[in-house]
Amino acid sequence: MDIKKVYNSKSVEEVIDILGEYGEKAKVIAGGTDIVIALNNNAIEPELLIDISKLEELKGIKVDKEFITIGSATTFTEIVESEIIDNNLYGLHKACKMVGSPQIRNKGTIGGNIANGSPAADSVPPLIALGGIVTLKSIEGTREVLLEDYYYNPIKEKELLLNIKFERPKDNQILTFAKLGLRKALAISRLTLSSFIEFDDNNTISFIRVASGALAKFPMREKELEDYLLGKILEKEIIEGAIEALRNSMDERLKGRSTLPYKRIAISTILREILEEALAFEEGVKAW
Amino acid sequence: MKKRGIGVGVSFYGTGYGNGFPDISRAIVRLLPGGRVGIYCGVTEVGQGAKTAMIQIGAETLGLTEKDIDLIHEDTSLMPDSGTAAATRQTYNTGNAIKVACENMRKELFEKAKIELELNSTAGLVLENGEVVLSFFPQKRISFKRLSEIYKDEIIEAGGEFVAQTTTMDPETGQGAPYWPYTFNACAVEVEVDTNTGIVDLLRAVFAQDAGRAVNPHLLEGQMDGGFAMALGYALFEDLKLENGAMKNNKFSKYLIPTAMDMIDVEKIIIEDPENTAPYGAKGIGEPVMIPIAPAILNAIYNAIGIRITELPVTPENLMKAIREAEANKQN
Repeated sequence: MDIKKVYNSKSVEEVIDILGEYGEKAKVIAGGTDIVIALNNNAIEPELLIDISKLEELKGIKVDKEFITIGSATTFTEIVESEIIDNNLYGLHKACKMVGSPQIRNKGTIGGNIANGSPAADSVPPLIALGGIVTLKSIEGTREVLLEDYYYNPIKEKELLLNIKFERPKDNQILTFAKLGLRKALAISRLTLSSFIEFDDNNTISFIRVASGALAKFPMREKELEDYLLGKILEKEIIEGAIEALRNSMDERLKGRSTLPYKRIAISTILREILEEALAFEEGVKAW
Repeated sequence: MKKRGIGVGVSFYGTGYGNGFPDISRAIVRLLPGGRVGIYCGVTEVGQGAKTAMIQIGAETLGLTEKDIDLIHEDTSLMPDSGTAAATRQTYNTGNAIKVACENMRKELFEKAKIELELNSTAGLVLENGEVVLSFFPQKRISFKRLSEIYKDEIIEAGGEFVAQTTTMDPETGQGAPYWPYTFNACAVEVEVDTNTGIVDLLRAVFAQDAGRAVNPHLLEGQMDGGFAMALGYALFEDLKLENGAMKNNKFSKYLIPTAMDMIDVEKIIIEDPENTAPYGAKGIGEPVMIPIAPAILNAIYNAIGIRITELPVTPENLMKAIREAEANKQN
């Protein structure tokens, strides 16, 4: 480790300028829950660290008519304690609550979870399911990218991840989440699923996005499963069919992987959990 | 599908080095300035509570409170050897040595009191809250503090030793009685097994431990919780993943041990059946508290899903593999 300087930055503009000047020699640090480990392992060797954890511009959850916007330096604890991220956004609350341990949730940020690019990032599947849009800024300008497309065109050296936003859910839309970890805390997710479902007046699924974690190189939409569920009513045999649809996608994607035999069975518990939670919401029985 | 099952594990454990191996603990007790008492003893505190329990045994024998005693330990230049903090032997072996040393110290204190109180004999003398008192005429009394002032150049001290009794096994047949005394325990658990994820969830646990006599019931319960948590890791989580002799799970992000979230509230029962060769009846429980847990968990898994697990740990992936194999065998 050969860090020469740490900037305790005062504004987003200043961070953008410094990033523009130093490029690959600089690294942005917020909670440090991933980056400190990478530094200790010499996986990254920046000359300069830019601390954004005190930038008010990047913190907190804002609501306007159309969107809910979460600043990139907002911690998991702040999200878990937010009254906005609750009710039909319960899936995001649940995902953030299952990250690591209280200490990690107090320091780790939603922006870091996205930018670190782990396939097992807990908060990312619910944000993909919500149709989340990431805003990135550099001296060259600002760009917006759908989170589901972000991993094909991730953060660049000179960019700062400003926030993630998604449309405010309607009353008939519900976000759910489930995770399989090998112990009850401090476990890297083996499987995660999140669904964002809209029910029409006949209890039919009129809109759906499902995103998975740890089932590919990065979190992604499960479109085969979405196609299967769209227009259906969540009955027992439909849920069984959904499990088969997702297994088909997994069999293709994870062919030959040693983890596939386990994951294709275990996925049924996780998929059933998110669909049953959605169903409970639709029926007005709040599981939480 | 989630299936529940109940399992029981029991164990008996011979404490001490055993098999005729020399197993000796020693202690020295000394009157310190101001009337405090020092116990010099090589007992090692490794988190088991020796520091507390040994002082309690000394205090009981000398009629003092724990606050009146200094335990001087873990520095081999200052004290005699008491063997290792291993083999579940410190409470029984070193506890005995301290008790013997304190009993010898009591005789020394009586001899000095006899002189200072101008008595004919030590008969009828008792120890009471840091004083030597003549029981039938309590006006005749002298404090440890006063004795320490009078004997400041001629230190009042006494030693004690305990040699454990064990016999060797017959080298030809392996028969014999190599350990003594034994301690006993039993544990029952209820589990819920998810047959789709292989996750074993502990729902309930009751754990009974024979201690002879609980020197410190809170410490004993702490040992039981600790042994249970350690065994829980050994049964369900901890996997070195050796491949060609190399440890693949070489960090704690991969080598999982239970967190506070994985541990459950264990209902603990202390069985007190005093062992007559032990200090106040107390036997060690350090290692035994881990032994019956994994068998109880494995029996509960068998009770839940009808599959006998013969290899640890029962990680979710290992359990799913066992379930798949059992299903394949059924079809053949």
